Amino acid sequence: MAASFTPRKLDCKDLHSYLKTLPGPVLDRLYNHPATCLAVFRELPDLARQYVMRNLFIEQPVSQAVIGQWVVNKFTNEHKYACKALSELRVWYEQPIPGGQPGWILNQTFRNNTKVALLGGGSPWIGGRSTTVDKYAKDIPFLDKYGQDRWECVLHFMVGSSEGSEGVSRDIIEVLNNSGLMKVDATDSNPLITPAGFQFLLMDTQSQVWYFMLQYLETVEHRGMDLVECLSFLFQLSFSTLGQDYSTDGMSESQLKFLQHLREFGLVYQRKRKSQRYYPTCLAINLASGLSGVSSDQEKVGFIIVETNYRIYAYTDSPLKIALLAIFCDMLYRFPTMTVCNLSRTSVREALIRGITAEQILNFLRSHAHPKMLATAPVLPPTITDQVRLWELERDRLKFDDGVLYSQFNSQSDYELLSDYAKDLGVLVFENASKRVMVVTRSGHDDVKKFWKRQKNS
Amino acid sequence: MSDKNSSSLLVIILDTNPIWWGQTNSKSGANTCLSTCLNSVMVFANSHLMFSHSNKLAVIAAHTNKSCFLYPLPKEPVPIDPAVDTENEAEENSVKVPQIGQNDGKYELFAQFNETIKSEIQNLIFNDKLEGELYSDSLIAGAMSMALCYIHRMEKEASVGEDVSSRILVIKGSEDNAAQYMNFMNAVFTAQKQNVVIDACILDNDSGLLQQACDITGGMYLKVPQMSGLLQYLLWVFLPDPVMRCKLTLPPKAQVDYRAACFCHRNLIDIGYVCSVCLSIYCSFSPICSTCQTTFKFMGPPKILKKKSKRLAS
Repeated sequence: MAASFTPRKLDCKDLHSYLKTLPGPVLDRLYNHPATCLAVFRELPDLARQYVMRNLFIEQPVSQAVIGQWVVNKFTNEHKYACKALSELRVWYEQPIPGGQPGWILNQTFRNNTKVALLGGGSPWIGGRSTTVDKYAKDIPFLDKYGQDRWECVLHFMVGSSEGSEGVSRDIIEVLNNSGLMKVDATDSNPLITPAGFQFLLMDTQSQVWYFMLQYLETVEHRGMDLVECLSFLFQLSFSTLGQDYSTDGMSESQLKFLQHLREFGLVYQRKRKSQRYYPTCLAINLASGLSGVSSDQEKVGFIIVETNYRIYAYTDSPLKIALLAIFCDMLYRFPTMTVCNLSRTSVREALIRGITAEQILNFLRSHAHPKMLATAPVLPPTITDQVRLWELERDRLKFDDGVLYSQFNSQSDYELLSDYAKDLGVLVFENASKRVMVVTRSGHDDVKKFWKRQKNS
Repeated sequence: MSDKNSSSLLVIILDTNPIWWGQTNSKSGANTCLSTCLNSVMVFANSHLMFSHSNKLAVIAAHTNKSCFLYPLPKEPVPIDPAVDTENEAEENSVKVPQIGQNDGKYELFAQFNETIKSEIQNLIFNDKLEGELYSDSLIAGAMSMALCYIHRMEKEASVGEDVSSRILVIKGSEDNAAQYMNFMNAVFTAQKQNVVIDACILDNDSGLLQQACDITGGMYLKVPQMSGLLQYLLWVFLPDPVMRCKLTLPPKAQVDYRAACFCHRNLIDIGYVCSVCLSIYCSFSPICSTCQTTFKFMGPPKILKKKSKRLAS
């Protein structure tokens, strides 16, 4: 029997789970930069953040029993969770207090650099503000548009639309291929989108950028760049001010290279490749804030209206958005500023077969809903949400199990002997006495086979 | 994390009364001066901002003759605010925030915020003409009203689905002024209605009014035992937001002095006379209520008592 097909669910790690995968020494080196400390601090559970603040100015280990008493008894679980998170990220580690009891002490590097971020002192962040005024200063709307345009180029390339995809460089294609979002077909020189890629397209921009950056960081070491330097620079970017220019002075070779890559992705704006200054765009700045799940594309106005008759009106002229809708809709009409499409069983099933989940479809519709739709109480009509979920469940009606078919028995008695034995063992899945056919589970196959051989020999 | 779409707005009201700070400075030496206190408050404020990127902050100075925002500064050069009419204000607002060259490892936002606070405090102190009488108390009630207005505005401006939880922290050293009783209590009850928590960090004189305010709004009241440890007290007790506080063990609530101030002499009294129409409080009997002009026809209570006793005797 056929093995079951399980679509690979695209899991977008948050910062915490990503950092957990890094080895301890790398973490320690990461904490050498105030920006990383800030980013890590904000990702900690609420209680853990309080612990860090309370311990920040205590330069000696604090007894675990004492810290346990900071919390009301009712919330011991949260306390344990917070302690676990802190230990996992090596923000603090165990050290006995003078009396010999177990205690915790904050990681010295983390402590120092958090203090630097909070109180000042220390060396300035690399690539600080430029001191001269930029002749070609850019304002915030320009940067917003620039970042979004660059990012849409990448998405355009993924859906294979010709528009604007010529700006996609080899590096981006490489990352997309490595991450499994696209794959190169032997027959075609252009890479093709994978099921994971479709799931990627339906995520909101911030999660997309973060997922993409994670994938990129995995390849960083192959490119001969230092992971720690890149990560700290990325965090530093996310804590910079929008519309402010920063200078590239004092950046290391690998950071400059990283900057060029970020420029390609649209996370920073640089007028020329050799330009001494750069502007972070909203993509980079939202990176840190989007991590904690507060992500929503505030600046974008939704464009989708969903009706209870499964009709979707999309007020957009962007080929990308239309292409995204076309993943799970049947296109009906297309006008200069508006597109009408239908949500049908076949179209949704096609999307589901590609590995997209019903939740992702609904989420996409919800997050891009037209302001008029947002005013209604459930944003999407309940009939639609229910139906899409039902269509998903429809695919789960069959359960696949591996098994072995026994057939062509010589006599009815042989057949009955074997089927009875299999029934006793509880491994019989299916039997048909008239056709002398039976199916046993794969795990039971060995026993049944042995039994049959013994029977034949005797 | 647990609170996805919520932001926390903290308004710090800092007592900058020149008389009180001058006195304590000369009494206890350099340990307690406005600048050290300000440093602690700024670190505390930075920590609040550090907690989450959605956290917001405002700082208001309660001076002896006015209250003014130290941070954030209004964007328009001239604020349309009839309550603030001094020329000083207009001048202050026109002062541009100096471009801060980042010269150390401090987070840009924090550096900017701290520079603003420092320069505003400087403005406040140097531009202080100190004309007329000097009072040893600060305009806490006025500052609180400004804070409430600001909070109201921020809550209205918050994007849809965003949940702003706000609180006010009053850091105060100078004495209470019973003359502010009415305004103060009005502000407190408004805060209670708006679900704004009022915390009080007392540097010197216990304040009955603030004790009541904290008790009514469910905030923390703490008199700092040692000024040198101010920052740690702030970080331990006042940094957690009200949601966190129920999970942490914090100092127990102190006895609250619930005495009201009379409307005639502004004295705190235990027992007094209350107007039956408008509930104004008086320490001595008056035939006409000065608040609502009601005339009380009958004679004062001592006479009634006498009549009663006579009747009883007969």
